[in-house]
Amino acid sequence: MKPSNSSWRLLILAAILPILLLITIDLSLDNSFHPESFKRFGNAVLTSYIVVGIILIGNLFFYADSRHRPSAPFVGMIFALGMGILLAWVLISQDDLLLEANSGLRSQMLSNVVHLLVSGTAMFVASIMAIGFTFAVITGRERMILFEEE
Amino acid sequence: MNPMLEAAIWFWIPLCLIPIGIWLIVSGKASLIGKLIALSGLVLVMLSSWTVPDSDSTAGGHLILAIIAPSFLLAYGLHGMVFGGNVPVGRLDSSARWSGNVAAFVAICIFSLMHWYSFTPVWRDGTVNPYWIVFWPTFLLFSTSLCSASAVALATFGDNRFAEAVKLAGLSVLMTGIALAAMIFDGYLTTADEFRDHLWLAAADIFGTIVGITLSIGVFALVIWSYERSLPLPESSPPPTAEEIDYVVSLAVSNIGGEEE
Repeated sequence: MKPSNSSWRLLILAAILPILLLITIDLSLDNSFHPESFKRFGNAVLTSYIVVGIILIGNLFFYADSRHRPSAPFVGMIFALGMGILLAWVLISQDDLLLEANSGLRSQMLSNVVHLLVSGTAMFVASIMAIGFTFAVITGRERMILFEEE
Repeated sequence: MNPMLEAAIWFWIPLCLIPIGIWLIVSGKASLIGKLIALSGLVLVMLSSWTVPDSDSTAGGHLILAIIAPSFLLAYGLHGMVFGGNVPVGRLDSSARWSGNVAAFVAICIFSLMHWYSFTPVWRDGTVNPYWIVFWPTFLLFSTSLCSASAVALATFGDNRFAEAVKLAGLSVLMTGIALAAMIFDGYLTTADEFRDHLWLAAADIFGTIVGITLSIGVFALVIWSYERSLPLPESSPPPTAEEIDYVVSLAVSNIGGEEE
């Protein structure tokens, strides 16, 4: 059965809604907006783009044997990665745009990588938990009898 | 030694060794060496707060070391819960299911005690590890979100899976409850105000990371697609000659048939 578009929308809504609910409660408790969250969002986008880009270039290198290691995709990905690094450098260099509580460009970039390591670990552990519990409830049910022998 | 060089040797180079080791493992060319490289990199990153105590970056490695025991306990518990149930292969003893339940519950309790009791990861001079307040709200928000999505996926795409969907929704509500408690009650070394501040940052982190990963995969797909599109069409091979057809027929004939009864 092919799932309908509305099912996918419902799924995305189910994923976003708990986060929005907690943020709304947070807002009602604090009654203040946190401007630092924009900086964190920007840094997270740029850092994850660069780090995942490096991982994908590594995959290109290690899996390219079957295609005789073509150089064009490498050059394309390195160019895309270079653009990401350049954009991060330009945006972090602008005072108070993406610079958080760090002394300068280099410390902000290094701090971003460690931050991604920690938040990535948190998301990984949460994914293991959610996927594990999903399979646990699926396998927890007694096997259904499809037909009874006469 | 220069502090930057020291940090590079004891933290950043080991951190780079982890993906290199994983690439070697998944490529299948040097699986054992890959495992050794990745494991040694992970161990060095976790020990970096002792090898380069002056570097602020090592707080990340210290945090991973602090959460590794409850994470393994959680994984062990989930393994028991999954494979103690109705699985066609690799089924464990029926006691594995309830022991797995206990292990997973204890793991979540340990994570909670790390916030509200003295298990909080302490880094320098009795202060809390700065990345703990990054990890904890991100973990709570993301697990709440994923459990909720899993519950809806089971109810929508599954066949008669409403009871299971309700259990997953219950877990999502439990994680939301823990997050709400952390927003209201102070932790052992962190305040509810700090947690609420970092909840915003955690939400920004989650959405930002997902957007960044999606962009990167999109660019990768675009690069591969444009390269593959530029390749010339493969030439068609010529049809088989009469001799080749005869040879294939003779092979087929020699392998088909048998004695009649």
